[in-house]
Amino acid sequence: MNFPLFKQMMKIHVKGMSNYAFGSAFYILLMFWLYPGIADNTGALNELLQSMPEGIVNAFNFQGGFGSMEAFISGEYYGLILPLLLSIFSIMLSTGLMARLVDQGSMSYLLSTPTTRRQVAATQASVLSAGLLLIILVTTGAGLLGYVWFIGDRFEFNGMRYIEMNVVAWMLFIAASGITFLVSSVMNDEKKALGISGFIIIGMFALDMLGKISSSVEWLRYGSIFSLYRQSDIAAGSGDPLFASLVLLAIGLACFTAGIIAFSKRDLPL
Amino acid sequence: MLVVDGLTKLFPGGRGITDVSFTVDQGEVFGFLGPNGAGKSTTIRHIMGFMKPDRGSASIKGLDTWKQQGVVQKLVGYLPGEIAFIEGMTGKEFLDFLARMQRVDSLARRGELIDRLQFDVTTPIRKMSKGMKQKVGIVAAFMHNPELIILDEPTSGLDPLMQQLFIELVLEEKARGTTFLMSSHSFPEIERTCDRAAIIKDGRLVATNNIHELQSMQRKLVIIVFEHQEDAEAFVLGGHVPIESRDGRRVTVAVQGNYNGLIHEAAKYKVRSLDIAAQNLEDVFMQYYDRKEAAAQ
Repeated sequence: MNFPLFKQMMKIHVKGMSNYAFGSAFYILLMFWLYPGIADNTGALNELLQSMPEGIVNAFNFQGGFGSMEAFISGEYYGLILPLLLSIFSIMLSTGLMARLVDQGSMSYLLSTPTTRRQVAATQASVLSAGLLLIILVTTGAGLLGYVWFIGDRFEFNGMRYIEMNVVAWMLFIAASGITFLVSSVMNDEKKALGISGFIIIGMFALDMLGKISSSVEWLRYGSIFSLYRQSDIAAGSGDPLFASLVLLAIGLACFTAGIIAFSKRDLPL
Repeated sequence: MLVVDGLTKLFPGGRGITDVSFTVDQGEVFGFLGPNGAGKSTTIRHIMGFMKPDRGSASIKGLDTWKQQGVVQKLVGYLPGEIAFIEGMTGKEFLDFLARMQRVDSLARRGELIDRLQFDVTTPIRKMSKGMKQKVGIVAAFMHNPELIILDEPTSGLDPLMQQLFIELVLEEKARGTTFLMSSHSFPEIERTCDRAAIIKDGRLVATNNIHELQSMQRKLVIIVFEHQEDAEAFVLGGHVPIESRDGRRVTVAVQGNYNGLIHEAAKYKVRSLDIAAQNLEDVFMQYYDRKEAAAQ
């Protein structure tokens, strides 16, 4: 870890990070604001869901129905929008922190100072993690605020499950950004790094979705980290969020470490 | 100070460097000459620890540049061949940031260098011209008073006035005992500052010479335009100087060391104008090889 580098990188990227964080916060607030109107028609909406093919409902993570606030938010936000938002964030930022600096050549300046490559890579990894934490914290905070503002005591809301959902989402993206960071650390070409990490993450997301649509291709899900992220189970109080979090964290840490080591051992075309 | 020993790195496709060895002593300015693509930058990348050699090593004050990456850099200032700064900063922000990374308080020296090079340090980097970036790069390489400064094609993009100033800067630093390694593809750039120079071609070191030896080896083409065509003819027919070509009153003479002979011979006639075209490095090399081959036979 190199503190001046961390500070400088945060300064450069904090604007982008806040854009994601505030976008996410705004969206979740909107969901909380909408919920009371929807809750009045829960019965009709649940009937609508039942009339749809089960695979589709599963794929878009609506299986929780609209019965409770956290079931609604898990389907509406944590099922699709947040994973996509964080996927894009991980892919973009990890490419920007590693592969782009190598591709453009500015990495040569960082490595011409008395800093080891491991320190540089570890610092960039911590910038990425800090960005993720910021987005998750702002999102969680906005959700809780939305609850206080719009929901109050009028509807059922299990705060603990909501927090669990956020923790698992955070761990999911520690794993995902670990993968994108690893890809970005071994690439010399910014566009290639972007393409390959995008292909892997969005590909995993798609595998998980396909696996959920039909039970005949359910095995597809096991190739995807997204299968460990079952926010509708958490909302319903089932599943094992602790186990999922630990596995995801382990994947993330392993990938970050591999990225840092790979970066410190390879030839750089600077 | 700097020892490069049997450095070998081959890239897929056959390019690379083979068995490059040279030593740069403390306080010496060492030129590293070669045409584009000869392996200058590859060698410098190894000295900076960006690449792992297949064989051999590069070390600065006994520290291996690949294995001790992160420690060696305390001793080194570096100007890359293609300058790329981190985006979204002004020149000042970048230099401040780099100073923190270098962990040296270089504020006074930095101010001094900026004054000398005369540029507006508050300009955002993306709005800078090539020459201006080069100036920021020079400040970054010099400001922390490193013991060894590595410059990859330092004067590209600078106007003649700034090139002159740059040479002065190098000579001042040299007087303070700083060691330099400077790569270039143009001889005049090296000529005025370097003590010794190595010549690299196709990934192999062909010679390491004292700069004066290289200077005497360099052949210059002198273009003389005579007042009268008859004079030109007589000059050519005289046979005292090696004639390269003649076109009417215009005679091109190839000189290598024998300047006196040329002046003596030309003074016999009325000369309208005189021009000197320095040979490019490639030609100097070719001649060097020719001479070596001739000597071998």
